[in-house]
Amino acid sequence: MLFEDEVTLGKALNDFTSQHKKNLGLVSLDVPLLSNLDVWVNIALIKQYHENLSADKAQKLVLSYLARYGLEDISNKRNPALTNRERFCAMLLRAAMVRDSMVVIDRPFTIIPDVQDDRFIYDTLKAVDDSYRECHIFDYLWSKDRYRMIDL
Amino acid sequence: MFNAIVRIGATTINVARTFRDTLSFASTIILKMFNKNSYNSATRLVLVHQIYFTSVQILPLFIGISIIFGTLLMGIVLQIIKNLGLAEHLGRIIMDIVVTELAPFVTVLLIALRSSSAINAEIAVMKVNRELNTLDKFNIDAVDYLFLPRVINGVISVVLLSAFFSILVLTSGLLFSKLLFGLSLESYSNVLLSSANFYDIVLSLVKCCTFGFFITLIPIRFGLNATNDLTSIPISVLNGMVDVFIAIIFIEVLSLILIFI
Repeated sequence: MLFEDEVTLGKALNDFTSQHKKNLGLVSLDVPLLSNLDVWVNIALIKQYHENLSADKAQKLVLSYLARYGLEDISNKRNPALTNRERFCAMLLRAAMVRDSMVVIDRPFTIIPDVQDDRFIYDTLKAVDDSYRECHIFDYLWSKDRYRMIDL
Repeated sequence: MFNAIVRIGATTINVARTFRDTLSFASTIILKMFNKNSYNSATRLVLVHQIYFTSVQILPLFIGISIIFGTLLMGIVLQIIKNLGLAEHLGRIIMDIVVTELAPFVTVLLIALRSSSAINAEIAVMKVNRELNTLDKFNIDAVDYLFLPRVINGVISVVLLSAFFSILVLTSGLLFSKLLFGLSLESYSNVLLSSANFYDIVLSLVKCCTFGFFITLIPIRFGLNATNDLTSIPISVLNGMVDVFIAIIFIEVLSLILIFI
């Protein structure tokens, strides 16, 4: 979904997230990774808290998902040590951990400013498309040209 | 004159408000503590980490301080007992000074200096970084996930470390009682056991639990008072630590009053 300005986008995003609060998996700079936890704990937290999955099983699950991106080595890193792309993947995986997840990506290019078009976002979503129900992207109208593969 | 009265009134209202807010927050935590839905794999992991940070990492420093401070103090106390001819009250004096008073107080001071300030800063940083917003967006109750494990850890750590301090100091007391009074291990143990009072032990346990509860609860509450500015972090830690020390003195005085009653 594309919007003209920050106010309109903010309002639409607020309305949308309120409607889907129960199974919302938000990927946004306003919802950062917890900086005092390792990446795997940040992602596993959702399953551990909501489904009482044991730490061992949750860690294995997270590692298997990180392996799809070839990012197993970031599992013990913390948020400030991540590159923009690694951070995006970790945030997306965390969102995908929500049961029946409605993944919402808020202005993805603010998280990965070094990425020119949507190819990276498309590939990242495709790699874990079995773990979420729907995905919605909120961005500005003027970013339209950057979306070539994803139909907004 | 009028301004002074207004200032006193404002300060009184502020203190009363802080006291009320702390008690209200405490009641929320206590209710959550006895609700089994508050516990899950994530909160257990946080609790284990917190116990490690608070009770295990501090051990070298804690053992060092307990041995140096405790041994010297026991030496002085036993020397005074000998000089005053109070040898028949040896066990009672040691139990009252070490187990009921000294152990909880030294333990709580060490944990407050190290862990309370860390908890206060940690929560304030999370608030500034909008990480509490993250928990909210993922339907994770911050009380269950962040606050409850820290408070439970405070209670467990103060109780365990206080007991450990007592054991270390009472052991060093064995050395001095042998040197000054010629007591054997068996006689020393008998003196201590016969002086151990159930009421004192319960009081000491309750005191440790209360200390542990408030030296973690108050920093959390003050951490939450941080605004979105980075500059609010040191202010929050400063105010929180001042209140932690006031709480420690308040609980200590209250326990002394209870002993005298």
